[in-house]
Amino acid sequence: MPELGSFIDLEALRERIVREREPLRNTLIICGGTGCQASRSRAVIEAVREELVRQGLQDGVRLRVTGCHGFCEQGPIAVVEPGRTFYCHVRPEDAADIVSETILQGRVVERLLYTDPVTGGKVRTEPEIPFYMAQDRQLLSQNRLVDPCVIDDYLAIGGYSALARVLAGMSREDVIREIQSSGLRGRGGGGFPTGRKWAECHEAPGDEKYVICNADEGDPGAYMDRCLLEGNPHLVLEGMMIGAYAVGAHQGYVYVRNEYPLAVDHVRTAVRQARELGLLGPNILGSGFSFDVQISRGGGAFVCGESTALMASLEGKAGEPRPKDIHTVVDGLWHKPTVLNNVETWANVPSIALQGAAWFSAKGSPGSKGTKILALTGRIKNTGLIEVAMGTPLRTVVHDIGGGALNGKAIKAVQTGGPSGGCLPVDRFDLPVDFDALAQAGSMVGSGGIVVMDEETCMVDVAKYFLAFLQDESCGKCVPCRLGIDRMLEIVTDITEGRGTLEQVELLEDLADTVGQTALCGLGKTAANPVLSTLRYFREEYEAHITENRCPAGVCQALITYVVDPEKCTGCGVCLRACPHGAIRGDKKQIHEIDALLCQRCGICRSECKFQAIRVH
Amino acid sequence: MLRYVTIKIDGAFIRAPRGTSVLDTAIEYGICIPHLCHVSGLTEIGACRLCIVEHEVAGRARVTTSCTLSVQEGMVVWTNTDKIKRLRRNIAELLVAQAPNSRAIQDVALRCGVREVRYPFRNQDCVLCGRCVRACAEIWQARAIGFVGRGKERRVDYPFGRRPDFCKQCNYCVQLCPMTITPCEGPMKNGEERLCGNCESQLMAAEENPDGCIWCQLGEGFQCGRYV
Repeated sequence: MPELGSFIDLEALRERIVREREPLRNTLIICGGTGCQASRSRAVIEAVREELVRQGLQDGVRLRVTGCHGFCEQGPIAVVEPGRTFYCHVRPEDAADIVSETILQGRVVERLLYTDPVTGGKVRTEPEIPFYMAQDRQLLSQNRLVDPCVIDDYLAIGGYSALARVLAGMSREDVIREIQSSGLRGRGGGGFPTGRKWAECHEAPGDEKYVICNADEGDPGAYMDRCLLEGNPHLVLEGMMIGAYAVGAHQGYVYVRNEYPLAVDHVRTAVRQARELGLLGPNILGSGFSFDVQISRGGGAFVCGESTALMASLEGKAGEPRPKDIHTVVDGLWHKPTVLNNVETWANVPSIALQGAAWFSAKGSPGSKGTKILALTGRIKNTGLIEVAMGTPLRTVVHDIGGGALNGKAIKAVQTGGPSGGCLPVDRFDLPVDFDALAQAGSMVGSGGIVVMDEETCMVDVAKYFLAFLQDESCGKCVPCRLGIDRMLEIVTDITEGRGTLEQVELLEDLADTVGQTALCGLGKTAANPVLSTLRYFREEYEAHITENRCPAGVCQALITYVVDPEKCTGCGVCLRACPHGAIRGDKKQIHEIDALLCQRCGICRSECKFQAIRVH
Repeated sequence: MLRYVTIKIDGAFIRAPRGTSVLDTAIEYGICIPHLCHVSGLTEIGACRLCIVEHEVAGRARVTTSCTLSVQEGMVVWTNTDKIKRLRRNIAELLVAQAPNSRAIQDVALRCGVREVRYPFRNQDCVLCGRCVRACAEIWQARAIGFVGRGKERRVDYPFGRRPDFCKQCNYCVQLCPMTITPCEGPMKNGEERLCGNCESQLMAAEENPDGCIWCQLGEGFQCGRYV
């Protein structure tokens, strides 16, 4: 393709693509995101391709391999256009049916439809699925329309028109003012106003400035940035170009972790395509603005998601944070003014530039505007990647989108914001997904991980899990983080193993506060949140561990005993054979017994028993 | 030509050359801010966090390290509020629980108000203050030692664990190391560690004048910037 020399060239190319595609109405969309690939969507894609060739339809039906659709647990996902018929758990053997039934004859293949776990009924199209119904998918809905490796797809849905608009008619100050009045706040966790960051960088002295896209997503269970980079890399690039223009940068970096091979691959392809079209490089679209992007792969250290550690890593140094008494917008990468934003923040920029600040700020709560992508996981019926307007109550997220608790258990808490966030109890589920409201409640939106926990989750154990994660990922530079997290973990481990004292709880609180206030970087400053929030809302669980030597949720191995419920036990002997420690005795058809001295509390008998006759005390 | 700014430390107006840190300024004027990883002339890394102060910005107090905070015109800093004292004591307690076998650390803990240690002692040989690493790289341009590993694994070591030829064997790293100064009664054995507290009487003057430097003997132990 020739380079685009002007705005007119871009529009002409877009028109040509749309015109050429007009006759091809039938489209089969198959998700090729990491989630669906893990459930073998590649084999499905190959099977469908072969089937289309076999039926001679390869030119009549478009097969589009897209990024993530969000409903990963139902993968591989296929959607047939027109009509948006939604198929889940598609296997390679289903290819023939999908092509000959749905595409050729417009009939629905019943067995592949989604079954609503709440009502038990079948649902035909994507918008009718309750998981999607309560969402507001501004960014994620584009994934369905775009093959991430085909720039034409992105151009066909109006891609790069925001860039053209900005370069053609907006001054730098205009762009910054627009972002400022949109109320966009950093999606990586901090929630810092993006417009203010840009304005400060724009005003910072110096000719050489940089923009960085932070794709070093490390929260356990969170994958919104991966999904955006994998599914729609051009959207992120376009955002970066607009940001670079606004602050006056000519070089950008995408710092993406090497554990995201597909994202690295797609971003690389996208950068190459954009360079070929002249959308990256010198004199973009004849505007005189020059900008290029380099991709840098990170080694996967959690701390490198912190801005200064990330910059150190980009410079080739060890990924350790440095004090931020002078902000990175003045003294950042190679001591030059630098704007660093999260993938999702960049992805929000093009639509603000195109549709205006008012359109963006119409959604959301007073302090937090727009939509937020959340990774919903835990003990609920529907899990996956969701997008809701800021200000949506947690209750809607957990019950309407998540479908409520699994197996009739009671939901106890929700953990938001990953290792740096906190746990909120069920009576706080009216709280909105909002930067300020969640921070006030002792948690945070963070990058958007939401883990739902039910009555079988021990909150002390949760705190211990996150402390162990943070201890592992702390860089070790400053004392409060290195030693403080270590000591907090020591205390919490003591409590879960029955050695805790009430004085230790007070010490834990004091220490957690110290770490939170004095640590060097964001990792340490928020490391105390899991402890502080569980102490704030679930103190009685800590106390039960200490004073009653009891784990109320039945999780902490040192504090529980397994017993056979004589009313339910049928004497089938399954547990007796399953126990690896020989701790269960009993004759056939007689009630069995567990020897508390031999029992290692592994829980195998409990999971094997078909009659729920083994209980935890 | 030096340009001066006026800042306010603990309510006192102080003139300081532009570009210096709050910690250096405070030491210069006899205000005691305990510190460990700071060594005059080396870059500040803000690792030990003992020199924290409250920096008042727009009516809100921000806790930050004074070694990395450069003086600016009109800056307001509090070095010895109740909050800072508590945080500093907790950090010093973590340090002394980790490495009780150093008079320097024992002294600094005492100066920071540690009177009991609420954690089990660990008796390690290094607190990772990084004085040696920075001195080697910045004063001698040798870079013969550096930090290796992350988090709990972090330690000071030669490249690949072997002493390189470019180590000048100047011993400067040893001279700066706070761990080389053993407690007065000799090193404590495993299981016998305690907070020494022998020099507690010296603190009587400090209690009357909490944020003033009293030229205490404690400073010699942890190589307070005042003595260099």
